[in-house]
Amino acid sequence: MEQNAIYELLAGHLGEGALAWHEDAVEPWAEIAPERIADACLFLRDDERLDFNQLMCLSGIDWDGYDENGKGKSVAILGYTDEGQPETTDRTADGDLGVAYHLYSHAQRHKFTLRVRVAREVAEVPTVSHVWPTAAWHEREAWDLVGIRFAGHPDLRRMLLDEAWEGHPLRKDYVMPAMWEGVPMEGRPLAKNPFPATEPATGDDGPGGPTPPAEA
Amino acid sequence: MATGKIMNNGWADQDHVPGIKSELLELNMGPQHPATHGVLRLLLKTDGEIVYQVTPVLGYLHRCAEKIAEGVNYKQWVVYTDRFDYLAPMCCNHAYVTAVEKLMDVEVPERAEHLRVVTAELSRIASHLIALATFGLDMGAWTPLLYCFREREEILNLLERMAGGRMLYNYMIPGGVRYDVPDDSWVGDVLDFITMLERKKLKDYNDLLSYNKIFIERTADVGVIDEATAKAYACTGPVLRGSGVKFDCRRDDPYSVYHKFDFEIPVGTGEMGTVGDCWDRYMVRVREIEQSCRIIRQALDTLPDGSYQAIPLNKIVKVPAGAAYSRTESAKGEIGHYIISDGGQTAFRNKVRSPSFCNLQVVEKVGVGQMVSDLVALVGSLDIVLGEIDR
Repeated sequence: MEQNAIYELLAGHLGEGALAWHEDAVEPWAEIAPERIADACLFLRDDERLDFNQLMCLSGIDWDGYDENGKGKSVAILGYTDEGQPETTDRTADGDLGVAYHLYSHAQRHKFTLRVRVAREVAEVPTVSHVWPTAAWHEREAWDLVGIRFAGHPDLRRMLLDEAWEGHPLRKDYVMPAMWEGVPMEGRPLAKNPFPATEPATGDDGPGGPTPPAEA
Repeated sequence: MATGKIMNNGWADQDHVPGIKSELLELNMGPQHPATHGVLRLLLKTDGEIVYQVTPVLGYLHRCAEKIAEGVNYKQWVVYTDRFDYLAPMCCNHAYVTAVEKLMDVEVPERAEHLRVVTAELSRIASHLIALATFGLDMGAWTPLLYCFREREEILNLLERMAGGRMLYNYMIPGGVRYDVPDDSWVGDVLDFITMLERKKLKDYNDLLSYNKIFIERTADVGVIDEATAKAYACTGPVLRGSGVKFDCRRDDPYSVYHKFDFEIPVGTGEMGTVGDCWDRYMVRVREIEQSCRIIRQALDTLPDGSYQAIPLNKIVKVPAGAAYSRTESAKGEIGHYIISDGGQTAFRNKVRSPSFCNLQVVEKVGVGQMVSDLVALVGSLDIVLGEIDR
């Protein structure tokens, strides 16, 4: 089915919940009100004409600093100072967070893209893991890396990082901790010896190889 | 009888050994375990030999490559795709450059596309060989491993002549490939290799492993993933096809020049047991090796002359603002890249949908109620690679 026709069916079902339709994009996508996303997905899956039985991908996005002219400067990558402490910046991230859903139908052989956008302070979207079980892990990953909570998710734990990790790395204002469980996490390894030798280096190969030279 | 509320599917209510009391045992399978194919940790709750709950714990190989993608330019990030599925890096390269090109709207030279197909299919064969080898190893068959690694070594040699690296190639770039065919004999050597593989070596694997009575006993009717489950959990690749679904991105959502080639899509038929059992998934891979050989032969026979790079190697790629999801068929399944560009030299967001990540999730459902030794068969037959699960 044509992309426009799919959107018309969806908009007919959602009414005001369908916010916008971007048909000129490289990949046309529909913007849905976050609170209606589970409803929209159920409709897309269960309607016989649409039959979207596969969720190909679910991506969490931090839209902070996005500028279509390529001039946007997010605070994504920060360096480390000579002291090994993370650099800081005055800028605070205030952009929205978003989730993109890419759907496919094995029977009808068509695809569709949905997006939702929520304010950074809210950072909560209803889950679709009851619609497609595969969404459960994708949503855990989005929570882990982007920090979007999925209301109604049966088991919203971190997916890839340790449960005690602080922050969500794919946020644009994420600053990597300088220390994690006693291990220095400087962004520039070997620039500085994190384990200075207590005794003068002899050059002998110990169990861990040659002792690194003392700091200049 | 087992107690507790954590158990699934009403197993707790079954008094499967009347009169004998038992309790749940928490068992760690991995992260260092020969049958987990990398640093995968499965938290099992078992009652004797029966598994009540499987909880995969991921992240031991996490490098946050998606964050790195926001800091390096499009060409530099090809290196990181190699490290996702390090058993089939060409397929990962291919997936990523296809996504970038979809946004750039660049015309890739035919010769480059053919070279991409040939190298990606060689990588697929290498990956499937490892899948057969390690699956046999999980089932207690040592010898096929040596046979499979012998053939894989030849593929690595061929690709090394092509791309310079033995395992990680960084071969494809947006707009083409990095190097042309290395010398006059390369094409002939590839053809010789696949002819030998088709005529002799595949028969060896079938004699040694596929139709081995013990192997069939261990894999047929074990770990059955039915079609509905496979689709609901978005399984792709040999896992989906093993469940009898005739779906392959190369055919059903064509990219590159796959539409020009003639090949079959093998599916599981329940030949030895039930459709979607471990043996079916295994056999789909064996038959895919054959089809990959067919594709390679056609791609090399019709290898066009001309340029192999639309964009010079030393030029930095800029991608117009926009977002696109592109998917390709890697050895493990459908690998998707969702790239959001803001028009600059680096991706604003690059989400990778890796096939192993989605395929592995199914053990939470299918693993329940299995014997522990059958869970090993199930995980082995999924053919996961942790590099792309943890990314």
